[in-house]
Amino acid sequence: MIETPLLLRRLERILDALAVASAVAGSLALAVLAAVTVIGVFWRYVLRDPIFGIEDVATMALTVTVAGAIAWGSRRGAHVSVNVIGWAGGRGLTRITDIAARLVSFVILALATYALFQKGACGIACGAMTSNLGILHKPFFYALGVGLGIYAAVTLMHLMIGLAHWAGEDPNEVAE
Amino acid sequence: MAGSTLALVGFGALFFLLFIRVPVGLAMMAVGAGGIWMIRPPAALPVIATEIFGEAANYSLTILPLFILMGNLAGVSGMSRDLYSAAHAWFGHLKGGLASATIVGCAGFSALSGSSLAAALTMGRVSLPEMQRYRYDNGLATGAIAAGGTLGILIPPSAGFVVYAILTEESIGRLFMAGVLPGLLLTFLFIVAIWLTVLRNPEKAPQGADKVALAARWRALARAGWIIGIIVLTIGGIYAGVFSAIEAAGIGALLALLVTILRRALTWPNVKEVAASTLSSTGTVFLILFGAFVFKTFIGFTGVTTALTGWVADLGLTGTQVVIAILLLFIVLGMFLDGFAILVLTVPLVQPILQATGVDLIWFGVLMVIALEMGLISPPVGINVFVVKGIADGVPLNTIFRGIWPFWFAMLLAVILVLMVPDIALLLPDTMFG
Repeated sequence: MIETPLLLRRLERILDALAVASAVAGSLALAVLAAVTVIGVFWRYVLRDPIFGIEDVATMALTVTVAGAIAWGSRRGAHVSVNVIGWAGGRGLTRITDIAARLVSFVILALATYALFQKGACGIACGAMTSNLGILHKPFFYALGVGLGIYAAVTLMHLMIGLAHWAGEDPNEVAE
Repeated sequence: MAGSTLALVGFGALFFLLFIRVPVGLAMMAVGAGGIWMIRPPAALPVIATEIFGEAANYSLTILPLFILMGNLAGVSGMSRDLYSAAHAWFGHLKGGLASATIVGCAGFSALSGSSLAAALTMGRVSLPEMQRYRYDNGLATGAIAAGGTLGILIPPSAGFVVYAILTEESIGRLFMAGVLPGLLLTFLFIVAIWLTVLRNPEKAPQGADKVALAARWRALARAGWIIGIIVLTIGGIYAGVFSAIEAAGIGALLALLVTILRRALTWPNVKEVAASTLSSTGTVFLILFGAFVFKTFIGFTGVTTALTGWVADLGLTGTQVVIAILLLFIVLGMFLDGFAILVLTVPLVQPILQATGVDLIWFGVLMVIALEMGLISPPVGINVFVVKGIADGVPLNTIFRGIWPFWFAMLLAVILVLMVPDIALLLPDTMFG
C-alpha cells in the first residue's frame, strides 16, 4: 500500500475545507432560492400582488448554489465520466490516460476560472446587472470563478496524488 | 479548415476525451472552447464565461435544485418507504407482485424526483430485501429496480426534460405534461413484462407476500397520502395552469420540508445529507450544461447543422424516418455513453434537422427520453445497473444485466407505441396549452 505524501495530504485537507465551505454557501443560497420561490408564489396567488424583481434574486441565488455545487461535487466525485477504458485497459492503461484526462480537465477549468474573473471584473461598464433590480453580476461571476477554481485545484491535486500512486491503486479513480 | 471538417474533428476529439475519462461537461467545454478559438480566437474565453454565467443564472433552471431538494426530502422523511409499503399492500400477494410493487413505487417516487438514479437507489434499498426475503430471482428483482428507476427521467418532474427544454427552447411545462401518459404506459408495460416473465418461469417469483386485508390496504394507502398529495398538487397544479413548473418546484420542496418536520425527520444528519446530495446532483447537471452550451456555440460557429440539414433534405427522408434513424442512433450510443451526455451532445446537431422536417419537438423529446432510459440499463455502461449493483451485494453484474432484458423490450415497445400514436405524448400538453 503506497502512502500519499504528507504535503498532498495537507493540500487535500485544505481543499476539503474549501469544498465544505462552498457547500455551506451553496446550501444557504439554495435555502434562499426555495424561500424566494415560495414567497413569490404566496404574494402572486394569495395576496394577488406579485413582488417586483423577485426573479432577479432567485437567479442570483441560483448562481451561488451552482458555484457551491460544482466545488462540492468535485470532492464527492459527482462530475460524471464515461468509464469504458477502465474495463478495456485496466489500471495499466488508466494510470497513463488519467494523467492526460486530469491535465485537460485542469487546463479547461483554469481557463474557465480566469474567463469568469476577467468577464466579472468588467462589471457595470459592460452592463452586467440584473434587468429589474439592477443587482451587479460581478460578485456572482466571482462566486462561479471560485467554484470552478476549487474544482481546478482538486483536479490538480488528483493528478499529483495519481502520480504519487503510480505503482499502485489510485485513491481518486475517476467517478462513473 | 472548413466548418464541417472542423466539426467532425471536434466530435472525434470529444469522443477521445470522453474515452480517456475526462468528465463529460469538461470534455465538451474543452473541445467547444478549442474549436471556437480556431474559428474566432478572441471569442473563446468570453464565450466560456458568458455561457457558464448564462446557465448558472438561467431562471428556468431554478427548477432543477428545487425538484432535487424535494426528492431528497421525500427520501429522508420516509415518504418513499410509505409509497412502497402501499404498493406492497395492494400488489405484494400477486405473482411477481413485489416486483410490480417496486415498479409502482418507482413511478410514484419519480413524480417527486427528476433523477433516475435517486429513484433506483431509494426504492431499491426498500424493495430489494423484501424481494430477496420472498426468494425472488435476483435477476428479476434487480432488473425491476434498475428499470423502475429509469421512470425518474420520464415522469415529471424530469431533469432530462428540463435540460432538453433549455437546449431546444421548448416549454418545460409542455414537456412535463407530455411525459405523464408515456410514463404511465411504461409503468404498465413494465408490470406486463414482470407478469410474462413469471408466467414463463414461475420459479422467478416462487411465492407472494401474505394477502393484506382490505382495511389494512387502505390504511397503507392513507399513510402514503402525503406523497400522493404532494404529487397531485405539484403535477396537478402545473396541468391545471394554477402555477408554473418553477413555482410547482418551490411549492413541492416546501411541502416536502413540512412533512419532514411533521414526521420529526428534520434531524441535523438528515439536513446535512439532503443538502450534500442536492448540491452534488445539482453540480453534476450544471457542469454538463456549461460544457453543452460552449460546445453548442462551437457547433453553431462551424455551420455543420446547415450542411447536415441540406444533406437530409437531399436524401428526401420524411420526419418520421429521420426520427427513427436518430432513435436507433441513441439506442446504440446509450450502450456506451451517459444519457445526459447523449442528450447534450446530439440535440444541438439534430434539432435543426428535426425542425426542417417538421417534427414536433415535444413528441421527439418524449421519444428521446425513453431511448435514453434504455441506455440507462443497457450493457456495458448502464448507470442504473451499477447503482443497483451498489445495493445488491453478492448479485453478479451479469445476473442484473440478464434481468433487465424484459424491461428493455418493454421500453422498445413504448417507443414504437409513442411513434405510432403521437397523442400518447401530445394529448395532455395539447389539452392544456392548446
